[in-house]
Amino acid sequence: MSAVILTGRTFVRVLALVAFVGGGTPLARADAVAELAGFSIFPKADLAELSKSESKPVRSGSTGNARYLSVQTAYVVPGPPAGVLAKMRSWNPARYPELKVYLHSESATDFSRLQSAPANSAISYLVSATAQQSSDLQLSAAERKQLAGAGTAGAGGMAGTVAGFWAKILGGRAQAFASGGSAAQPPYENATSPVRPSDELSGLLRGQEKIRRQFAGLLDGTGIGRGGGSLKPDMYWELLNADEKGVLTLGASYDRTGAGGSIQVANALYYASGGYYAGITLQQLWPVEIEGRASALVWRGDMISSASVGSLRGIERIAAESTMIKDIARVVALFRRDAAGAR
Amino acid sequence: MLEAPSPDGPSDPLGFEVEVQSSYVGGGSVEREGIDVDLDNEWNFSARLLILPRTPVGILRLGAEYEIYDFDIPDNIQVPDRLQALMFIVGLDTKLSDSLLLRFEARPGFYSGDKIEGGDFNVPFLLGGTYLYSSTLQFVFGIGVDFEGEYMVLPGGGVRWKFAPQWVLNATAPTPRLEYEVNNHLMIYAGGELRGKNYRVDNDFVGDPGDPGDLNNAIVRYLEVRTGAGVAWKIGDVGKLSFEAGYVPFRSFNYHRTEVRWHSDGGGFYGAATLKLAF
Repeated sequence: MSAVILTGRTFVRVLALVAFVGGGTPLARADAVAELAGFSIFPKADLAELSKSESKPVRSGSTGNARYLSVQTAYVVPGPPAGVLAKMRSWNPARYPELKVYLHSESATDFSRLQSAPANSAISYLVSATAQQSSDLQLSAAERKQLAGAGTAGAGGMAGTVAGFWAKILGGRAQAFASGGSAAQPPYENATSPVRPSDELSGLLRGQEKIRRQFAGLLDGTGIGRGGGSLKPDMYWELLNADEKGVLTLGASYDRTGAGGSIQVANALYYASGGYYAGITLQQLWPVEIEGRASALVWRGDMISSASVGSLRGIERIAAESTMIKDIARVVALFRRDAAGAR
Repeated sequence: MLEAPSPDGPSDPLGFEVEVQSSYVGGGSVEREGIDVDLDNEWNFSARLLILPRTPVGILRLGAEYEIYDFDIPDNIQVPDRLQALMFIVGLDTKLSDSLLLRFEARPGFYSGDKIEGGDFNVPFLLGGTYLYSSTLQFVFGIGVDFEGEYMVLPGGGVRWKFAPQWVLNATAPTPRLEYEVNNHLMIYAGGELRGKNYRVDNDFVGDPGDPGDLNNAIVRYLEVRTGAGVAWKIGDVGKLSFEAGYVPFRSFNYHRTEVRWHSDGGGFYGAATLKLAF
C-alpha cells in the first residue's frame, strides 16, 4: 500500500491555565452581540443558546508567521461581569489534574513552592535538562552561564539547587517585566537566531488586527509587546506540562472596565522555559440578561507562538490546532462549571 | 449558538513543502523458478513539491512528485531495470471534529518503466483518518486504493503514542518507528518502511528471452521493505535533514496478472538521505 498515513507528529499543549483574571448597566443583548461581531470571527450569536451549550472554540486565522496559532470562543456565564471577573481571578487551574498545571502562584517574587514540585516524568525532564544544561531551555546567554551552578538531577521532584536556579531566573525576568514590560525581557538565545518574547507578543497581535484594535485602549496601558505601561499587572508564575515536558512560565494580567459595564482582560505569557515562545489571552465580558438573570457574555481569544508549530503543515497543523481547541474548551468548561456552582 | 466563523478574518500564510530523498541499496537478489537475479546496486531518488493553501473546508494538498528506482541488473530478464513515477498530488486535509481528522489524497500520474508513456497513467488514492484520543495518543487508520493493484484496496493504520517526554512510538504504516528526541533539534529513530507501487512496464519490454514480449505493458508491483535507524536534524525553523541506514530484507516484483512473481532471495544494506523544507 502506497498510502501516506496521517500522523500528527507534534502537539503543542496550550496555555490551558491562563489564570483567568480581571458592573454597570447591562448592555442590550444586541449591542453586545454587535460589538462581538465587530472584531471577532463570530458574526452572530444566540445568547440563550450560548448560556446552555458547551463552549465551542474555533480556529482563527493568523497572519504573519507559521509558528502562530489562534483560537477564539464565546460563552455565557451566570453573574455580572464584575462577579465573573472576580471568579476568574480566584480560579486556580492547578486544582484540576487534567489541565496538567502542577503549580500556580500569584506572585512575582516568591518561588519557594518550586521545592514542592511533584515527582513525575515531566518534572524529571525539566530537572534533567537543567542539570545537563540542555540547549532546549529558553534562556539568554547570561542566564545560560548560571546553569553551571544549577546542580544535579536528584531523585523525584525538583532538587534545591535546580529550584534555586529557576527561582533566580524567574525572579529576574518578573522584575524586568514589572519595570519595563515585555520589551525588557532578555531574548531566548538557545535557538539558531535569538527569539525575543516581546517581538512574539507584538507579532501575535499584529496578526489579529481587528482584535488588536478592539483591545487597543487596554493594551496601550500594558507591558504586552512593548515597554512598561501605565497599568499595574497582576503577575503570576506556573509550572505546567507542555507536550509531556515540564515548563516554567511567567504571566501578567491586566483588566479595565469599559463602556456599558463591559470589562476587558489581557493576559500575557511573557516567558516560558520551553514549549512555546509566548502567548496572549484576551477576554471581553459584557453584561447581558439571560431569562431575567444577570449574566456575562464572554469572548476569549487565545494566541500562541511556538517553534514546534512553525514547521507543521497540512494535517499535522490541523492536529495542533485541534489540540489547542480541545485544551481551551476543557478550561472554559471547568471554569463555567465552577462559576455556575459558586453562585 | 455561534454562527459559523466569519470568513473575513485574517488569512493564514500559504504553506509549502519540499522534500528530496536519495537512497542506495547494495546487494540482495530476487528469485523465480530457481533463477536468481542479483540486485547489486539500487539507486532511488524522489523529489516532491507541495503547495498547501488553506480553504474553508481544510488545507489543500496540491503538487507534484517524481520518483525513480534504478536497478543495476542484466538485460533480457523479467525484472525491470528502471521504475519511475511522475505524478500530481491533489488532496485535502480536513477534520470532521476536533478529534477526528481526515486526509484524502489522489496521485494521478504516470507509473512507468524505462519510458514514460500515455498508457502508464493511473490514479491511486488514499483515504485516511486520525483519531486524537489525547495530545499523547492518536490512532491512525486508512485505505489505499489502486485499480491496477492485485488487491485494489489495502488497509493501513497504527498508533502514535508519546509515552515519555522524549520518546514516541510512531507505529503507523508505512513508516513505523520508535523515536527518541535527543533535544529540540536532534532526533534518532529506529524502525521500518514499506514501499510499494504498481507500475506499467514498457511496451517493448523484452522480459523473458524464451518468451519475448510476454510482459509487454504488464503491471508490476514493486515492493520493498526497509528496516533501519536514522538521525534527523532540525535546521532552523523550516528544514529537516535525515540520514538513515539499515537492511532491506525483502524486495519483490510481482506481475500479478500474469502470475509471474520474483521473490526476495537475499537482502542488502541501504543508506538514505532526506531533506525536507516547510515554508
